[in-house]
Amino acid sequence: MKYSSSVRVTPSGIVLNEKRLAFASSGEDLLVEAYRKQIGDWPKFFKMDPLSKAGFVSSELLLSSEEPRKHDCEDRAVILYNRSGSLADDRIYEGTIRSKEEFYPSPAVFVYTLPNILTGEIAIRNKYYGETSFSVLEEFDPTTMIHGLESAFLDPMTASAIFGWVECGSEDDFDVCLFLVHKEGEGLKDFDEKEFLRIWKI
Amino acid sequence: MEDLKTEIKEKVIEALKLADITPSDIDDEAPLFGEGLGLDSIDALELMLLLEKNYGIRLANPAEGKKVFVNVNTMAQYVADNRTR
Amino acid sequence: MKQAVKISDNVISPLGIGTSENFLAIKDGKSALRLHSGAERDIPEDFCASIIDEDSLKEEYLKAGIPEDGYTPFEKRLMLSVSLALHGTGIDPSSDKVLFIISSTKGNVDLLHTEDPAGREYPGYSAKRVASFFGNPVPPVTVSNACISGLSAQINAVRELETGHFDTVIVTGGDIQSRFIVSGFQSFKALSKEPCKPFDAKRDGLNPGEAAATVIYSWKEPQKGDWVAVKGAIRNDANHISGPSRTGEGSFRALMAVLGDADRSDLAFVNVHGTATLYNDEMESIALSRAGLSEVPVNGYKGYYGHTMGAAGIMESVLSMKAVEEGVIIGMRGYSECGVSAPLNISADNRPASGTSFVKLLSGFGGCNAAMLFRKV
Repeated sequence: MKYSSSVRVTPSGIVLNEKRLAFASSGEDLLVEAYRKQIGDWPKFFKMDPLSKAGFVSSELLLSSEEPRKHDCEDRAVILYNRSGSLADDRIYEGTIRSKEEFYPSPAVFVYTLPNILTGEIAIRNKYYGETSFSVLEEFDPTTMIHGLESAFLDPMTASAIFGWVECGSEDDFDVCLFLVHKEGEGLKDFDEKEFLRIWKI
Repeated sequence: MEDLKTEIKEKVIEALKLADITPSDIDDEAPLFGEGLGLDSIDALELMLLLEKNYGIRLANPAEGKKVFVNVNTMAQYVADNRTR
Repeated sequence: MKQAVKISDNVISPLGIGTSENFLAIKDGKSALRLHSGAERDIPEDFCASIIDEDSLKEEYLKAGIPEDGYTPFEKRLMLSVSLALHGTGIDPSSDKVLFIISSTKGNVDLLHTEDPAGREYPGYSAKRVASFFGNPVPPVTVSNACISGLSAQINAVRELETGHFDTVIVTGGDIQSRFIVSGFQSFKALSKEPCKPFDAKRDGLNPGEAAATVIYSWKEPQKGDWVAVKGAIRNDANHISGPSRTGEGSFRALMAVLGDADRSDLAFVNVHGTATLYNDEMESIALSRAGLSEVPVNGYKGYYGHTMGAAGIMESVLSMKAVEEGVIIGMRGYSECGVSAPLNISADNRPASGTSFVKLLSGFGGCNAAMLFRKV
């Protein structure tokens, strides 16, 4: 497996292809700033839950260097993992139904109480008709994740994948490490567990 | 009625998280769905919740909502006629 | 040639404990769907659903050595289902060549309503507890792909075997129809107050359902009579996060990835998702028709069990295997008049089945769709 770009997004900053991007804000505001400066044409961003906001901005940055940027295809998968599933949004939804007296379950919040809504958001944005999958692990575990990625490439349609870790505990607590991985590709860097960990530790 | 319209616009913007839009950007006659604000089926359900939460109005189903959520004028009129709080 | 061969399975539902008991119940036309009181869950509206009586499992837990305390009902049901599936297989679940894949949409989310969930609301934590109960040392994977999770988990299982990472994969799944899920689907106006009517002209929504189901696959040469998970695919609609594609795009592509141009005549049936929401069934009819499956018999089990979410893909697959073995296509309970735009070969009554393979189809929020082909050798 090879990879063509990587992105590391935490509340304190964004590192794209091993270069730190200059932003003034941190936490949730960092995602908004990155959206406004680098993306800007997808107002649905503001409707997303914390997990999707973090994952969406990260995927957009990851793809920003792809030339030409792939669109409307079936051969790219989106394979993501995390620890909290959709708990950040689950807690917000629980807040809308907490008491019997103030019981106003919000459909716009409920719809995000599944982590694979994020994989759907990325597919919609890029018109990716390929495989999308979200799995939850007890902790960050590159061995299990790389196994899963190797497995995903067994689908003969899948030639590349947005792959990685998108953890989000709340609006201001996220930890993302994504790669654009290719089954094969000349002149690209090798992708394996060691490389995953190297970027993770940046 | 004008106050109610502004109030509804503010609540719609808040409930649907319409970033960078102020009440004055929304025309009373402009369609809410389709081109207009680009709302979708989840937004329609969220607008039903807005009516229930703020004005004590329960719509039976999304089909009924279609008649109410044409534009801000139709929404305001419906709220004025049916509000229980 | 080695393939992913089904070793064992189990289904736990209000209709029975064990795959055979469940199969016989639905073959007799029994349904677990009942009207349930909203008040009992502090929900304003009543709802029609299939709910497991937790007390009815007490004795089974005891027999399986599952402690009464210390585990949530969600965890205990999965543990019981796995335990029953493992019985008599000779598989050592404590081996590091055995992987647990859990399929659940919401796991222990109901704990968020309690004072202090104490970390047990994390899906990975409950997965770990289930795997650890069997002494398994491998980090378990919880597939969280909404309503396609049960197929997604089986597709991952087959691949993990094919790559040689593991010798055996235990796929287990389920969901509890808590206040959280029921209120959410009500907010979506997606629930029917009556037993659901899949593909019917009068269908008006789905019923939530509870079940736990397990299927175990090993990588080996299939023998005559064995079930093989031949091929599965997941495809996205790339259209909307909750509404299915009007053209059935993802389901169509998943079906084509699995079937290609192959002859459809060996298919005993296609077991669809068939939730009985307006848009799901309409979308599936279009996808099936586009994939050249208009003539192939179509059936679904939501009229018996409702939508069992994390269990659905597993339970509906193993019940379909049983049906092919018995040469019967279970009727689509709740269906009477075609209510989709692309006509399909559907019957409310049981029919004789011919053929040794079937396709299982699922769709879910996030625009995801999955299809999987199973064949009896």
